[in-house]
Amino acid sequence: MSTPVIEVEKLTLRYGGYTAVRDLSLEVRAGELYALLGTNGAGKTSTLETVEGHRTPTSGTVRVFGRSPRDRAAVRPRTGIMLQESGFSPDLTVRESIRLIGALTRRADDAGRVLDIVGLTGKAGTVVAQLSGGEKRRLDFATAVYGNPELIFLDEPTTGLDIQSRDALWESVDRLRENGATIVLTTHYLEEAQQRADRIGLMHQSVLRREGTVGELTRTLPAVIRFRLSGATPALPLPATADSDGAVLVETFELQKDLHVLLGWAQDHAVELGDLSAGPTRLDDVFRTLSS
Amino acid sequence: MLAIARSELIQIFRNRLVLVTSLIMPVAVSAFFIYRHEAFATLGSLGYIAGVVMVTVGAFGLYTSTVTTLASRRQNLFLKRLRSTAASDAGILAGLILPATALAVGQVTAILAVLAAVAGNPADVVLLAAAVTATLAMMIGLALATAGLTNSPEHAQVTTLPVSLGVIAVASWVGISGAGELTLLKRLLPGGAATELVLNAWNGGAALGDSLILLAPTAAWVVVAVALAARLFRWEPRR
Repeated sequence: MSTPVIEVEKLTLRYGGYTAVRDLSLEVRAGELYALLGTNGAGKTSTLETVEGHRTPTSGTVRVFGRSPRDRAAVRPRTGIMLQESGFSPDLTVRESIRLIGALTRRADDAGRVLDIVGLTGKAGTVVAQLSGGEKRRLDFATAVYGNPELIFLDEPTTGLDIQSRDALWESVDRLRENGATIVLTTHYLEEAQQRADRIGLMHQSVLRREGTVGELTRTLPAVIRFRLSGATPALPLPATADSDGAVLVETFELQKDLHVLLGWAQDHAVELGDLSAGPTRLDDVFRTLSS
Repeated sequence: MLAIARSELIQIFRNRLVLVTSLIMPVAVSAFFIYRHEAFATLGSLGYIAGVVMVTVGAFGLYTSTVTTLASRRQNLFLKRLRSTAASDAGILAGLILPATALAVGQVTAILAVLAAVAGNPADVVLLAAAVTATLAMMIGLALATAGLTNSPEHAQVTTLPVSLGVIAVASWVGISGAGELTLLKRLLPGGAATELVLNAWNGGAALGDSLILLAPTAAWVVVAVALAARLFRWEPRR
Protein backbone atom coordinates (compact mmCIF):
# COMPACT_ATOMS: atom_id res chain seq x y z
CA MET A 1 0.00 0.00 0.00
CA SER A 2 1.36 3.46 -0.91
CA THR A 3 2.16 6.17 1.62
CA PRO A 4 -0.66 8.33 2.95
CA VAL A 5 -0.39 11.88 1.65
CA ILE A 6 -3.31 13.06 3.79
CA GLU A 7 -4.19 11.69 7.22
CA VAL A 8 -7.28 13.01 9.00
CA GLU A 9 -8.15 11.66 12.41
CA LYS A 10 -11.34 12.42 14.34
CA LEU A 11 -11.69 15.87 12.80
CA THR A 12 -14.40 18.09 14.23
CA LEU A 13 -14.92 21.64 13.01
CA ARG A 14 -17.38 24.05 14.61
CA TYR A 15 -18.40 27.58 13.61
CA GLY A 16 -19.81 29.01 16.83
CA GLY A 17 -22.63 26.64 17.79
CA TYR A 18 -22.80 24.97 14.35
CA THR A 19 -20.88 21.75 13.77
CA ALA A 20 -19.76 21.68 10.14
CA VAL A 21 -17.71 18.46 10.40
CA ARG A 22 -18.08 15.79 13.07
CA ASP A 23 -15.53 13.16 14.05
CA LEU A 24 -14.28 12.59 10.50
CA SER A 25 -11.35 10.29 9.76
CA LEU A 26 -9.93 9.52 6.34
CA GLU A 27 -6.71 8.79 4.52
CA VAL A 28 -5.67 9.65 0.98
CA ARG A 29 -2.78 7.70 -0.48
CA ALA A 30 -0.15 8.85 -2.96
CA GLY A 31 -1.35 8.80 -6.57
CA GLU A 32 -4.98 8.33 -5.58
CA LEU A 33 -7.98 10.35 -6.80
CA TYR A 34 -10.21 10.68 -3.76
CA ALA A 35 -13.65 12.24 -4.27
CA LEU A 36 -15.48 13.76 -1.33
CA LEU A 37 -19.18 13.92 -2.16
CA GLY A 38 -22.21 14.97 -0.22
CA THR A 39 -25.44 16.86 -0.05
CA ASN A 40 -25.46 20.68 0.10
CA GLY A 41 -24.09 21.81 3.46
CA ALA A 42 -22.81 18.29 4.24
CA GLY A 43 -19.40 19.65 5.27
CA LYS A 44 -17.35 18.83 2.14
CA THR A 45 -15.83 22.27 1.63
CA SER A 46 -15.24 22.73 5.38
CA THR A 47 -13.38 19.40 5.42
CA LEU A 48 -11.44 20.28 2.30
CA GLU A 49 -10.49 23.74 3.57
CA THR A 50 -9.31 22.29 6.88
CA VAL A 51 -7.13 19.78 5.03
CA GLU A 52 -5.86 22.63 2.82
CA GLY A 53 -4.92 24.57 5.97
CA HIS A 54 -7.47 27.38 5.65
CA ARG A 55 -9.29 26.35 8.84
CA THR A 56 -8.09 25.23 12.25
CA PRO A 57 -9.76 22.03 13.51
CA THR A 58 -11.85 22.42 16.65
CA SER A 59 -10.54 18.96 17.58
CA GLY A 60 -8.77 16.08 15.87
CA THR A 61 -5.65 16.10 13.72
CA VAL A 62 -4.89 16.71 10.06
CA ARG A 63 -1.53 15.83 8.50
CA VAL A 64 -0.50 16.55 4.90
CA PHE A 65 2.84 15.06 3.79
CA GLY A 66 3.26 14.23 7.50
CA ARG A 67 3.03 17.88 8.57
CA SER A 68 0.37 20.30 9.72
CA PRO A 69 -1.31 21.81 6.64
CA ARG A 70 -0.95 25.20 8.33
CA ASP A 71 2.82 24.89 7.88
CA ARG A 72 2.51 26.68 4.55
CA ALA A 73 6.20 27.05 3.86
CA ALA A 74 6.62 23.25 3.97
CA VAL A 75 3.32 22.02 2.51
CA ARG A 76 2.19 24.57 -0.08
CA PRO A 77 5.10 24.28 -2.52
CA ARG A 78 3.94 20.66 -2.97
CA THR A 79 0.23 21.51 -3.09
CA GLY A 80 -2.05 23.11 -5.70
CA ILE A 81 -5.40 24.47 -4.57
CA MET A 82 -8.43 25.24 -6.74
CA LEU A 83 -10.87 27.08 -4.51
CA GLN A 84 -14.64 26.85 -4.86
CA GLU A 85 -14.79 30.60 -5.55
CA SER A 86 -12.14 32.24 -7.68
CA GLY A 87 -10.65 35.04 -5.53
CA PHE A 88 -8.68 36.87 -8.21
CA SER A 89 -8.16 40.60 -8.31
CA PRO A 90 -10.45 42.05 -11.00
CA ASP A 91 -7.85 44.69 -11.95
CA LEU A 92 -5.04 42.22 -12.80
CA THR A 93 -4.74 40.54 -16.17
CA VAL A 94 -4.84 36.77 -16.59
CA ARG A 95 -1.07 36.68 -17.18
CA GLU A 96 -0.35 38.87 -14.14
CA SER A 97 -2.63 36.74 -11.96
CA ILE A 98 -1.00 33.47 -12.95
CA ARG A 99 2.50 34.94 -12.56
CA LEU A 100 1.68 36.30 -9.10
CA ILE A 101 0.15 33.12 -7.74
CA GLY A 102 2.76 31.02 -9.53
CA ALA A 103 5.59 32.99 -7.91
CA LEU A 104 3.99 32.59 -4.48
CA THR A 105 3.64 28.80 -4.85
CA ARG A 106 7.46 28.62 -5.07
CA ARG A 107 7.21 26.12 -7.92
CA ALA A 108 8.94 26.69 -11.23
CA ASP A 109 6.81 26.78 -14.36
CA ASP A 110 6.01 28.90 -17.38
CA ALA A 111 2.82 30.98 -17.25
CA GLY A 112 2.40 30.57 -21.02
CA ARG A 113 2.48 26.76 -20.77
CA VAL A 114 -0.14 26.69 -18.03
CA LEU A 115 -2.42 29.15 -19.83
CA ASP A 116 -2.13 27.00 -22.94
CA ILE A 117 -3.28 23.94 -20.97
CA VAL A 118 -6.47 25.71 -19.88
CA GLY A 119 -7.05 27.41 -23.23
CA LEU A 120 -6.59 30.95 -21.95
CA THR A 121 -3.59 31.97 -24.07
CA GLY A 122 -5.79 34.33 -26.09
CA LYS A 123 -7.00 35.98 -22.88
CA ALA A 124 -3.56 36.48 -21.31
CA GLY A 125 -3.78 40.28 -21.54
CA THR A 126 -7.43 40.52 -20.44
CA VAL A 127 -8.23 41.78 -16.94
CA VAL A 128 -9.98 39.23 -14.73
CA ALA A 129 -13.06 41.49 -14.42
CA GLN A 130 -13.77 40.82 -18.10
CA LEU A 131 -13.60 37.01 -17.88
CA SER A 132 -16.70 34.83 -17.91
CA GLY A 133 -17.44 32.54 -14.96
CA GLY A 134 -16.09 29.52 -16.85
CA GLU A 135 -12.89 31.35 -17.80
CA LYS A 136 -12.32 32.28 -14.16
CA ARG A 137 -12.69 28.60 -13.20
CA ARG A 138 -10.11 27.72 -15.85
CA LEU A 139 -7.74 30.36 -14.50
CA ASP A 140 -8.30 28.93 -11.05
CA PHE A 141 -7.40 25.47 -12.35
CA ALA A 142 -4.30 26.92 -14.01
CA THR A 143 -3.04 28.28 -10.67
CA ALA A 144 -3.69 24.89 -9.02
CA VAL A 145 -1.63 22.94 -11.57
CA TYR A 146 1.14 25.57 -11.93
CA GLY A 147 4.47 23.79 -11.49
CA ASN A 148 2.90 20.29 -11.43
CA PRO A 149 2.32 19.92 -7.66
CA GLU A 150 2.28 16.49 -6.01
CA LEU A 151 -1.11 17.07 -4.37
CA ILE A 152 -4.00 18.98 -5.95
CA PHE A 153 -7.28 20.00 -4.31
CA LEU A 154 -10.12 20.56 -6.75
CA ASP A 155 -13.22 22.07 -5.15
CA GLU A 156 -16.13 21.85 -7.63
CA PRO A 157 -13.67 22.18 -10.54
CA THR A 158 -16.15 21.81 -13.41
CA THR A 159 -19.00 23.97 -12.11
CA GLY A 160 -19.80 26.56 -14.79
CA LEU A 161 -17.62 24.92 -17.46
CA ASP A 162 -18.93 23.92 -20.88
CA ILE A 163 -18.49 20.32 -22.04
CA GLN A 164 -15.35 21.11 -24.05
CA SER A 165 -13.63 22.85 -21.13
CA ARG A 166 -14.73 20.07 -18.80
CA ASP A 167 -13.18 17.42 -21.04
CA ALA A 168 -9.98 19.47 -21.35
CA LEU A 169 -9.77 19.82 -17.57
CA TRP A 170 -10.14 16.08 -17.02
CA GLU A 171 -7.52 15.39 -19.69
CA SER A 172 -5.12 17.63 -17.75
CA VAL A 173 -5.98 15.82 -14.53
CA ASP A 174 -5.33 12.47 -16.23
CA ARG A 175 -1.89 13.69 -17.36
CA LEU A 176 -1.06 14.90 -13.84
CA ARG A 177 -2.11 11.53 -12.46
CA GLU A 178 0.11 9.74 -14.97
CA ASN A 179 2.94 11.73 -13.40
CA GLY A 180 1.92 10.51 -9.95
CA ALA A 181 -0.13 13.44 -8.65
CA THR A 182 -2.63 12.85 -5.85
CA ILE A 183 -6.03 14.50 -6.36
CA VAL A 184 -8.70 15.38 -3.83
CA LEU A 185 -11.96 16.31 -5.49
CA THR A 186 -15.36 17.60 -4.49
CA THR A 187 -18.06 17.76 -7.14
CA HIS A 188 -21.81 17.81 -7.64
CA TYR A 189 -21.42 15.83 -10.87
CA LEU A 190 -21.63 12.27 -9.56
CA GLU A 191 -20.82 10.74 -12.94
CA GLU A 192 -17.41 12.48 -12.85
CA ALA A 193 -16.65 10.90 -9.48
CA GLN A 194 -18.02 7.52 -10.58
CA GLN A 195 -15.82 7.52 -13.70
CA ARG A 196 -12.61 8.84 -12.21
CA ALA A 197 -12.35 8.36 -8.45
CA ASP A 198 -10.29 5.53 -6.99
CA ARG A 199 -12.18 5.97 -3.74
CA ILE A 200 -15.15 8.03 -2.69
CA GLY A 201 -16.20 9.45 0.68
CA LEU A 202 -19.89 10.27 1.08
CA MET A 203 -20.77 12.98 3.59
CA HIS A 204 -24.18 13.81 4.95
CA GLN A 205 -25.05 16.22 7.78
CA SER A 206 -21.41 16.83 8.79
CA VAL A 207 -20.54 13.13 9.00
CA LEU A 208 -18.59 10.87 6.63
CA ARG A 209 -21.27 8.19 6.21
CA ARG A 210 -19.66 5.83 3.68
CA GLU A 211 -16.28 5.37 2.07
CA GLY A 212 -14.89 3.00 -0.54
CA THR A 213 -14.46 2.30 -4.24
CA VAL A 214 -17.45 2.77 -6.54
CA GLY A 215 -17.89 -1.03 -6.54
CA GLU A 216 -17.82 -1.23 -2.76
CA LEU A 217 -20.36 1.57 -2.40
CA THR A 218 -22.82 0.37 -5.03
CA ARG A 219 -22.59 -3.25 -3.91
CA THR A 220 -24.58 -2.37 -0.79
CA LEU A 221 -27.70 -1.54 -2.83
CA PRO A 222 -29.69 -3.81 -5.19
CA ALA A 223 -29.78 -3.27 -8.95
CA VAL A 224 -33.23 -2.73 -10.45
CA ILE A 225 -35.00 -4.43 -13.38
CA ARG A 226 -37.93 -2.35 -14.63
CA PHE A 227 -40.62 -3.27 -17.14
CA ARG A 228 -44.31 -2.92 -17.94
CA LEU A 229 -46.93 -5.67 -18.28
CA SER A 230 -50.18 -5.44 -20.16
CA GLY A 231 -53.19 -7.67 -19.64
CA ALA A 232 -53.40 -10.74 -17.41
CA THR A 233 -50.11 -12.59 -16.89
CA PRO A 234 -49.05 -15.63 -14.88
CA ALA A 235 -47.37 -15.05 -11.50
CA LEU A 236 -43.91 -13.47 -11.78
CA PRO A 237 -40.96 -15.76 -11.02
CA LEU A 238 -39.34 -13.11 -8.76
CA PRO A 239 -40.52 -10.84 -5.94
CA ALA A 240 -41.55 -7.48 -7.42
CA THR A 241 -43.07 -4.14 -6.54
CA ALA A 242 -44.70 -1.41 -8.65
CA ASP A 243 -43.52 2.17 -9.01
CA SER A 244 -45.78 5.24 -9.14
CA ASP A 245 -46.10 4.92 -12.95
CA GLY A 246 -47.41 1.38 -12.67
CA ALA A 247 -44.16 -0.18 -13.93
CA VAL A 248 -42.94 -3.39 -12.31
CA LEU A 249 -39.68 -3.19 -10.31
CA VAL A 250 -37.53 -6.17 -9.42
CA GLU A 251 -34.68 -5.43 -7.03
CA THR A 252 -31.75 -7.82 -7.17
CA PHE A 253 -28.21 -8.34 -5.97
CA GLU A 254 -27.72 -10.91 -8.77
CA LEU A 255 -28.65 -8.93 -11.84
CA GLN A 256 -27.46 -11.35 -14.54
CA LYS A 257 -29.01 -14.45 -12.96
CA ASP A 258 -32.38 -12.84 -12.19
CA LEU A 259 -32.58 -11.16 -15.59
CA HIS A 260 -32.04 -14.56 -17.17
CA VAL A 261 -34.85 -16.04 -15.03
CA LEU A 262 -37.19 -13.20 -15.97
CA LEU A 263 -36.48 -13.40 -19.71
CA GLY A 264 -36.96 -17.20 -19.60
CA TRP A 265 -40.32 -16.76 -17.88
CA ALA A 266 -41.41 -14.17 -20.46
CA GLN A 267 -40.35 -16.50 -23.29
CA ASP A 268 -42.15 -19.51 -21.82
CA HIS A 269 -45.40 -17.62 -21.30
CA ALA A 270 -45.22 -15.41 -24.41
CA VAL A 271 -45.31 -12.29 -22.23
CA GLU A 272 -43.98 -9.01 -23.57
CA LEU A 273 -41.83 -7.03 -21.11
CA GLY A 274 -42.58 -3.46 -22.24
CA ASP A 275 -39.96 -0.69 -21.77
CA LEU A 276 -37.59 -3.26 -20.24
CA SER A 277 -34.53 -1.73 -18.59
CA ALA A 278 -31.93 -3.14 -16.26
CA GLY A 279 -28.68 -1.74 -14.98
CA PRO A 280 -26.20 -1.91 -12.14
CA THR A 281 -26.62 0.30 -9.10
CA ARG A 282 -25.35 3.80 -9.74
CA LEU A 283 -23.64 6.17 -7.36
CA ASP A 284 -26.73 8.38 -7.61
CA ASP A 285 -28.77 5.59 -6.00
CA VAL A 286 -26.31 5.29 -3.10
CA PHE A 287 -26.36 9.06 -2.77
CA ARG A 288 -30.17 9.18 -2.69
CA THR A 289 -30.32 6.48 -0.03
CA LEU A 290 -27.87 8.45 2.05
CA SER A 291 -29.82 11.68 1.92
CA SER A 292 -33.34 10.24 2.10
CA MET B 1 6.23 39.78 -0.56
CA LEU B 2 7.69 41.75 -3.46
CA ALA B 3 5.52 39.88 -5.99
CA ILE B 4 2.42 40.89 -4.00
CA ALA B 5 3.67 44.48 -3.65
CA ARG B 6 4.26 44.69 -7.39
CA SER B 7 0.75 43.45 -8.20
CA GLU B 8 -0.69 45.85 -5.61
CA LEU B 9 1.09 48.78 -7.22
CA ILE B 10 -0.35 47.79 -10.61
CA GLN B 11 -3.82 47.68 -9.08
CA ILE B 12 -3.46 51.11 -7.41
CA PHE B 13 -2.63 52.72 -10.74
CA ARG B 14 -5.45 50.87 -12.54
CA ASN B 15 -8.12 51.80 -9.99
CA ARG B 16 -9.00 55.48 -10.44
CA LEU B 17 -10.99 55.72 -7.20
CA VAL B 18 -8.01 54.57 -5.12
CA LEU B 19 -5.69 56.79 -7.14
CA VAL B 20 -7.80 59.88 -6.45
CA THR B 21 -8.24 59.10 -2.74
CA SER B 22 -4.69 58.11 -1.99
CA LEU B 23 -2.66 60.33 -4.32
CA ILE B 24 -4.51 63.28 -5.77
CA MET B 25 -6.61 64.38 -2.78
CA PRO B 26 -3.76 64.63 -0.22
CA VAL B 27 -1.55 66.38 -2.80
CA ALA B 28 -4.32 68.88 -3.62
CA VAL B 29 -4.91 69.69 0.07
CA SER B 30 -1.18 70.02 0.67
CA ALA B 31 -0.73 72.22 -2.38
CA PHE B 32 -3.38 74.59 -1.00
CA PHE B 33 -1.61 74.75 2.39
CA ILE B 34 1.72 75.51 0.71
CA TYR B 35 0.19 78.08 -1.66
CA ARG B 36 -1.35 79.89 1.33
CA HIS B 37 1.57 79.19 3.67
CA GLU B 38 1.91 82.77 4.85
CA ALA B 39 -1.72 82.88 6.02
CA PHE B 40 -1.48 79.46 7.70
CA ALA B 41 1.87 80.38 9.28
CA THR B 42 0.17 83.42 10.81
CA LEU B 43 -2.68 81.24 12.07
CA GLY B 44 -0.29 78.67 13.53
CA SER B 45 3.28 78.31 12.26
CA LEU B 46 5.18 76.70 9.39
CA GLY B 47 5.43 73.64 11.64
CA TYR B 48 1.64 73.54 11.72
CA ILE B 49 1.53 73.31 7.91
CA ALA B 50 4.10 70.50 7.97
CA GLY B 51 2.10 68.67 10.67
CA VAL B 52 -1.24 68.96 8.86
CA VAL B 53 0.29 67.91 5.54
CA MET B 54 1.90 64.85 7.15
CA VAL B 55 -1.30 63.79 8.90
CA THR B 56 -3.46 64.41 5.82
CA VAL B 57 -1.26 62.17 3.67
CA GLY B 58 -1.20 59.60 6.50
CA ALA B 59 -4.98 59.71 6.89
CA PHE B 60 -6.06 59.63 3.24
CA GLY B 61 -3.03 58.42 1.30
CA LEU B 62 -2.16 55.61 3.69
CA TYR B 63 -4.86 54.86 6.30
CA THR B 64 -8.03 55.15 4.19
CA SER B 65 -6.54 53.53 1.10
CA THR B 66 -5.11 50.64 3.15
CA VAL B 67 -8.43 49.94 4.88
CA THR B 68 -10.25 50.10 1.52
CA THR B 69 -7.67 47.84 -0.13
CA LEU B 70 -7.75 45.20 2.61
CA ALA B 71 -11.57 45.17 2.74
CA SER B 72 -11.75 44.86 -1.03
CA ARG B 73 -9.14 42.08 -1.22
CA ARG B 74 -10.96 40.19 1.53
CA GLN B 75 -14.39 40.66 -0.02
CA ASN B 76 -13.35 39.26 -3.42
CA LEU B 77 -11.45 36.42 -1.68
CA PHE B 78 -8.08 37.61 -2.99
CA LEU B 79 -6.66 37.32 0.56
CA LYS B 80 -7.84 33.71 0.70
CA ARG B 81 -6.28 33.11 -2.69
CA LEU B 82 -2.94 34.51 -1.46
CA ARG B 83 -3.21 32.32 1.65
CA SER B 84 -3.57 29.29 -0.64
CA THR B 85 0.07 29.76 -1.59
CA ALA B 86 3.29 29.35 0.36
CA ALA B 87 3.33 33.06 1.34
CA SER B 88 3.17 33.76 5.09
CA ASP B 89 0.48 35.99 6.62
CA ALA B 90 3.10 38.60 7.52
CA GLY B 91 4.51 38.49 3.98
CA ILE B 92 1.02 38.91 2.47
CA LEU B 93 0.17 41.90 4.66
CA ALA B 94 3.57 43.49 4.09
CA GLY B 95 3.18 43.05 0.33
CA LEU B 96 -0.29 44.58 0.36
CA ILE B 97 0.72 47.57 2.51
CA LEU B 98 4.16 48.29 1.04
CA PRO B 99 3.10 50.21 -2.12
CA ALA B 100 0.70 52.57 -0.29
CA THR B 101 3.35 53.12 2.39
CA ALA B 102 6.06 53.85 -0.18
CA LEU B 103 3.74 56.25 -2.01
CA ALA B 104 2.84 57.99 1.29
CA VAL B 105 6.53 58.35 2.26
CA GLY B 106 7.28 59.72 -1.20
CA GLN B 107 4.35 62.14 -1.03
CA VAL B 108 5.23 63.48 2.44
CA THR B 109 8.89 63.83 1.48
CA ALA B 110 8.10 65.66 -1.75
CA ILE B 111 5.48 67.95 -0.20
CA LEU B 112 7.70 68.88 2.77
CA ALA B 113 10.61 69.46 0.38
CA VAL B 114 8.45 71.90 -1.59
CA LEU B 115 7.36 73.59 1.66
CA ALA B 116 11.03 73.92 2.69
CA ALA B 117 11.95 75.35 -0.71
CA VAL B 118 9.10 77.86 -0.59
CA ALA B 119 9.11 78.83 3.09
CA GLY B 120 12.52 77.85 4.49
CA ASN B 121 14.17 74.69 5.86
CA PRO B 122 13.07 72.87 9.02
CA ALA B 123 15.21 73.26 12.16
CA ASP B 124 15.83 69.52 12.64
CA VAL B 125 15.40 67.20 9.63
CA VAL B 126 16.21 64.01 11.58
CA LEU B 127 13.56 64.76 14.19
CA LEU B 128 11.10 65.53 11.39
CA ALA B 129 11.87 62.18 9.76
CA ALA B 130 11.30 60.42 13.10
CA ALA B 131 7.93 62.16 13.46
CA VAL B 132 6.88 61.15 9.93
CA THR B 133 7.99 57.54 10.45
CA ALA B 134 6.15 57.24 13.78
CA THR B 135 2.97 58.79 12.34
CA LEU B 136 2.89 56.53 9.28
CA ALA B 137 3.53 53.46 11.48
CA MET B 138 0.59 54.50 13.65
CA MET B 139 -1.65 54.94 10.61
CA ILE B 140 -0.72 51.45 9.31
CA GLY B 141 -1.53 49.90 12.69
CA LEU B 142 -4.86 51.74 12.86
CA ALA B 143 -5.61 50.69 9.27
CA LEU B 144 -5.10 46.99 10.11
CA ALA B 145 -7.39 47.32 13.14
CA THR B 146 -10.07 49.25 11.21
CA ALA B 147 -9.93 46.73 8.35
CA GLY B 148 -11.07 44.09 10.86
CA LEU B 149 -14.26 46.10 11.41
CA THR B 150 -14.83 46.87 7.72
CA ASN B 151 -16.87 44.46 5.60
CA SER B 152 -16.45 46.04 2.17
CA PRO B 153 -14.77 48.92 0.32
CA GLU B 154 -18.09 50.81 0.52
CA HIS B 155 -18.22 50.22 4.27
CA ALA B 156 -14.68 51.66 4.50
CA GLN B 157 -16.05 55.06 3.50
CA VAL B 158 -17.83 55.09 6.87
CA THR B 159 -15.49 53.15 9.13
CA THR B 160 -12.44 55.26 8.23
CA LEU B 161 -14.07 58.62 8.97
CA PRO B 162 -13.58 58.73 12.78
CA VAL B 163 -9.82 58.13 12.59
CA SER B 164 -9.06 60.08 9.39
CA LEU B 165 -11.04 63.17 10.35
CA GLY B 166 -10.08 62.76 14.02
CA VAL B 167 -6.30 62.83 13.46
CA ILE B 168 -6.59 65.83 11.10
CA ALA B 169 -8.71 67.67 13.69
CA VAL B 170 -6.21 66.84 16.45
CA ALA B 171 -3.29 67.96 14.26
CA SER B 172 -5.06 71.25 13.49
CA TRP B 173 -5.91 71.78 17.17
CA VAL B 174 -2.33 71.13 18.33
CA GLY B 175 -0.84 73.01 15.37
CA ILE B 176 -2.89 76.15 15.87
CA SER B 177 -3.20 76.31 19.67
CA GLY B 178 0.14 74.67 20.54
CA ALA B 179 0.58 72.19 23.38
CA GLY B 180 0.60 74.75 26.20
CA GLU B 181 -2.94 74.03 27.39
CA LEU B 182 -4.50 70.61 27.95
CA THR B 183 -1.04 69.24 27.18
CA LEU B 184 -1.63 65.69 28.40
CA LEU B 185 -4.89 65.29 26.49
CA LYS B 186 -3.37 66.65 23.27
CA ARG B 187 -0.38 64.32 23.57
CA LEU B 188 -2.51 61.26 24.27
CA LEU B 189 -4.87 61.75 21.35
CA PRO B 190 -3.75 59.97 18.13
CA GLY B 191 -1.66 62.34 16.04
CA GLY B 192 -1.34 64.91 18.84
CA ALA B 193 2.16 64.07 20.06
CA ALA B 194 3.34 63.49 16.48
CA THR B 195 2.12 66.92 15.43
CA GLU B 196 3.83 68.54 18.45
CA LEU B 197 7.01 66.73 17.42
CA VAL B 198 6.71 68.14 13.90
CA LEU B 199 6.17 71.64 15.33
CA ASN B 200 9.37 71.27 17.39
CA ALA B 201 11.30 69.80 14.44
CA TRP B 202 10.24 72.48 11.97
CA ASN B 203 10.07 75.58 14.19
CA GLY B 204 12.98 74.65 16.49
CA GLY B 205 13.47 76.00 20.00
CA ALA B 206 12.60 72.85 21.97
CA ALA B 207 15.15 70.69 23.82
CA LEU B 208 15.89 67.38 22.04
CA GLY B 209 15.01 65.32 25.14
CA ASP B 210 11.60 67.03 25.43
CA SER B 211 10.94 66.29 21.77
CA LEU B 212 12.05 62.66 21.81
CA ILE B 213 9.69 61.84 24.65
CA LEU B 214 6.86 62.78 22.28
CA LEU B 215 7.60 59.62 20.29
CA ALA B 216 6.33 57.51 23.20
CA PRO B 217 2.56 58.25 22.84
CA THR B 218 2.72 57.60 19.08
CA ALA B 219 4.61 54.34 19.69
CA ALA B 220 1.95 53.41 22.26
CA TRP B 221 -0.75 53.97 19.61
CA VAL B 222 1.17 51.64 17.28
CA VAL B 223 1.21 48.94 19.97
CA VAL B 224 -2.51 49.41 20.76
CA ALA B 225 -3.46 49.39 17.07
CA VAL B 226 -1.42 46.25 16.33
CA ALA B 227 -2.92 44.48 19.37
CA LEU B 228 -6.41 45.44 18.18
CA ALA B 229 -5.57 44.29 14.65
CA ALA B 230 -4.41 40.91 15.97
CA ARG B 231 -7.85 40.47 17.56
CA LEU B 232 -10.01 42.05 14.86
CA PHE B 233 -8.37 41.31 11.51
CA ARG B 234 -10.13 38.71 9.36
CA TRP B 235 -8.79 37.02 6.23
CA GLU B 236 -12.15 35.94 4.85
CA PRO B 237 -15.64 37.47 4.76
CA ARG B 238 -17.88 36.56 7.67
CA ARG B 239 -19.65 33.23 7.12
